[in-house]
Amino acid sequence: MNERAGTTGGAGMDDAASMADGTPMGVAEAAAIMREAGETARRGLQVRHRATFTIWGLGLLIGYGAIWLTVRGQRPFHGPDPGAFALVALLGAASVMAGLEQARTESGVGGLSAVRRRLSFASVLIGLAGMFAVEGALVHAGASKPVISIFEASAPILVAGIFYLTSSTVRPHWAVTGLGLWLVVVAGAGGFAGPVGVWGVGALAGGLAYLLMAAFDPWLRRS
Amino acid sequence: MSEDGLDPVIHAPARLRIMVTLAALPEGDDLTFTGLQDLIGLTPGNLITHLRKLEDAGYVTTHKNGTGVTARTSVALSHVGRDALERYTTVLRQLLDSVYSETELQLGKPWLKNGQGFVDAAERLGVDCAF
Repeated sequence: MNERAGTTGGAGMDDAASMADGTPMGVAEAAAIMREAGETARRGLQVRHRATFTIWGLGLLIGYGAIWLTVRGQRPFHGPDPGAFALVALLGAASVMAGLEQARTESGVGGLSAVRRRLSFASVLIGLAGMFAVEGALVHAGASKPVISIFEASAPILVAGIFYLTSSTVRPHWAVTGLGLWLVVVAGAGGFAGPVGVWGVGALAGGLAYLLMAAFDPWLRRS
Repeated sequence: MSEDGLDPVIHAPARLRIMVTLAALPEGDDLTFTGLQDLIGLTPGNLITHLRKLEDAGYVTTHKNGTGVTARTSVALSHVGRDALERYTTVLRQLLDSVYSETELQLGKPWLKNGQGFVDAAERLGVDCAF
């Protein structure tokens, strides 16, 4: 048994721990430590969504805005420019990667929370994959370009809205519920703006909603 | 009740910080060693020392994920540890309540428990009653 402080061995470890305790602690100090450590832990372990919300917001604003600019003058309407659509897809991929990176670096918390995070992202990816499958089915069934355009613009926002609404059933938060509800409304109502207007509605109403969430994230985390 | 009622394993500044920090995690979650170190502010050696004492008491569990360079150690509060911290908190509250009662007797005046007067009086006696 090694009895040198700070090294392995039962008795040696007890000595090391006792030496590391320092001067005896009173009840008042203990209470203060509990309060301070609890606050520090609460702040340090809180999930931060500012980066993800900002990237999603800019993605919608710039990506959907770019598509709106390319389709608004089309006569006859033939749908989004492939380059602009590729930009939106890239921004979407960047958003997912940003979310994954945030999750990875999130204060080192593992266990059930890590499993939930992975499932959450998987559900978003599966939703988007399903969306593309449905779009393919619509094209295969002969749906017109205006119909495809409305679907392409509304469906991703609808998927995102439903994701936030179901997330808030697991961990209720009024702001996340509000965001989910707003995105569902934007997806549903935006379609009535037509195959051109739906992209503009998504860009402004959807993009700005995310950016507002990013701007108020520090205050929302405290609530 | 005296301070002897406080669990000596928990009743040390560093270990109390560790326990409270881990208790902030939801059940089923754990925290990496470096994550805990960042929150607590201890040196790695110091943190290991205190974690081992808590682990010997059955209050925390540690496990290592991965191998080689990517290996990382995670720490979590055990059920035994949560119960022990709850008991510690109860005893601490009772001790603080008894200090409050002594304050009333010494000053000879009735104080509302949440009143500023209580805080002022306690501070004059050198007791921090923010808990």
